[in-house]
Amino acid sequence: MIYRLNFIFWRLRVVMQILVVYFLWLALFSGRNELFGYNQSQMLTYVLLTSLARSIILSTTTMEIGSIINQGNLSNYLIRPINFFRYYIARDIADKSLNVLFSIGEIALLYVLLRPDIYIQSDVTMIAYGTLAVCIGMTLYFYFSLLLGFLGFWTPDVWGPRFLSFVIMEFFAGGLFPLDILPAPLFALSKSLPFFYFIYFPIKIYLGQLPIQEIIRGIFLGSVWVGVLWCAARMVWQKGLRVYTAEGK
Amino acid sequence: MAISVSHLVKHYRIHKKEPGFLGSVSSLLSPHYEQVSAVEDISFSIDEGELVGFIGPNGAGKTTTLKCLTGLLYPTSGSIDILGYIPYERKTPYLKSITLVMGQKNQLWWDLPAADTFLLNKEIYEIPDVQYKKTLAEYVELMEVENLINVQVRKLSLGERMKMELIAALLHKPKILFLDEPTIGLDVVMQKKIRDFIRIYNKQNRSTVLLTTHYMEDVRQLASRIIIIDHGKLLYDGKLDKLVKQYASYKILSIILGSYIHPDAFKEIGDLVDYNFPRAIVRVPRGGSNMAAAQLLQKFPVEDLNIEEPNIEDIVRDIFTKIQK
Repeated sequence: MIYRLNFIFWRLRVVMQILVVYFLWLALFSGRNELFGYNQSQMLTYVLLTSLARSIILSTTTMEIGSIINQGNLSNYLIRPINFFRYYIARDIADKSLNVLFSIGEIALLYVLLRPDIYIQSDVTMIAYGTLAVCIGMTLYFYFSLLLGFLGFWTPDVWGPRFLSFVIMEFFAGGLFPLDILPAPLFALSKSLPFFYFIYFPIKIYLGQLPIQEIIRGIFLGSVWVGVLWCAARMVWQKGLRVYTAEGK
Repeated sequence: MAISVSHLVKHYRIHKKEPGFLGSVSSLLSPHYEQVSAVEDISFSIDEGELVGFIGPNGAGKTTTLKCLTGLLYPTSGSIDILGYIPYERKTPYLKSITLVMGQKNQLWWDLPAADTFLLNKEIYEIPDVQYKKTLAEYVELMEVENLINVQVRKLSLGERMKMELIAALLHKPKILFLDEPTIGLDVVMQKKIRDFIRIYNKQNRSTVLLTTHYMEDVRQLASRIIIIDHGKLLYDGKLDKLVKQYASYKILSIILGSYIHPDAFKEIGDLVDYNFPRAIVRVPRGGSNMAAAQLLQKFPVEDLNIEEPNIEDIVRDIFTKIQK
């Protein structure tokens, strides 16, 4: 019973988040046709898509890793013939699938209720690139979250840095608003961060608003980031295992 | 040789923090680290099929040694070879042939029935269906838990949980068992059941068992050989009865008196350790125990007399306190 209630409230929270941002933009667009280079239809599509993007890209089961390490429960994983990375990849795939299922349902519901004018992408190449960008985003966020969790090898305070990363991500991942409405220097900064590829980049491709060179460039740079974070995660994991004390409650 | 440990050393780096607010601030600005040596040059080897007990006071380094052997900790220096593997490398074939049971930590999924953990272990260790069913049925019968395996683990009592832990840990028939205080907190009946299970498993599978414990009864019942560790050093490695003979240079005369004798009168026989009329306990040197007994019977109104080996607990306590001086 408790689990069921928990579930309902969780989905309610997700829907509320979408609605808040959606109505915010609706209000901003009242009496205008265009804002920051976007028309209402594009902006509202962006908002609804961020919700879908969050459910695919930003959902993860790796948040617990920090406390698993601190409380010595990592031993349970180390003692068994399990590959830690593959274990969490598998769990995340399951988690994301579940999230996407619900998210699609909720967006469909919202579409029926709110009837926004949304933009549907029809170009197959754009969809293909978009899917590739989503994969890059997922992988990046996975290794990023792992790295935050691995801080647990060195400090009992893993939530501090993680919370900070949430705050930075909310801004620089493009979850609240499309990043290109930022003034040029800030936008340039955001482009150089890995968060760029979490939400903003895949959605822009889907909206068909990026020229092909930008897309190729972005995919290349995103892949470089994947390589960097993948190496970093492996290295930090090995180092962490050496200082792991297996103590805990 | 199943297990071979050579000059194992393990140091920890601990962050030391002064208590209080100022302490927190200063630890933030200039953190102070201290090196703790948990294990200092320990070497031993264990053959296949042996059952070895590790005993030592709290903080002696026994659990640290155990964790190094299971591959959880990276040794500071020294080498460990188990079944031809280096534990720290955590290779899959190595992990499939060992198991670790910790009396103070659960490996079962808390919100699910034990049966689910068993299935999960079956997949993790790649146990074939037929073997799994047979082994599980065998263990469940031995431990008498048929109607408990589908109950959520959180609802089980400590003893029942321990039984499930053991079953889960042994499904894949490991060759090496590492048991860290498996009987801690259990009642006497449960302790015996757990010990019996371990003994039967060991006999049937010719496995090697390393057991750390504080309960001497565990050692008496299970381990033919014990290794005593204190302050990270190996104090004794050998058979249990040899320990008694080597470190206990005395025997105990357990007396029941017919009429009251003043305590000072026992001085000519030996050390009066305990006197609660009509019971008296006297320590005498090992060689002279028969003489002392004869003297006692001649000169004192003795109703009953027993000549006993000293308690293992007392011996171990003596060794620990001796080393601390």
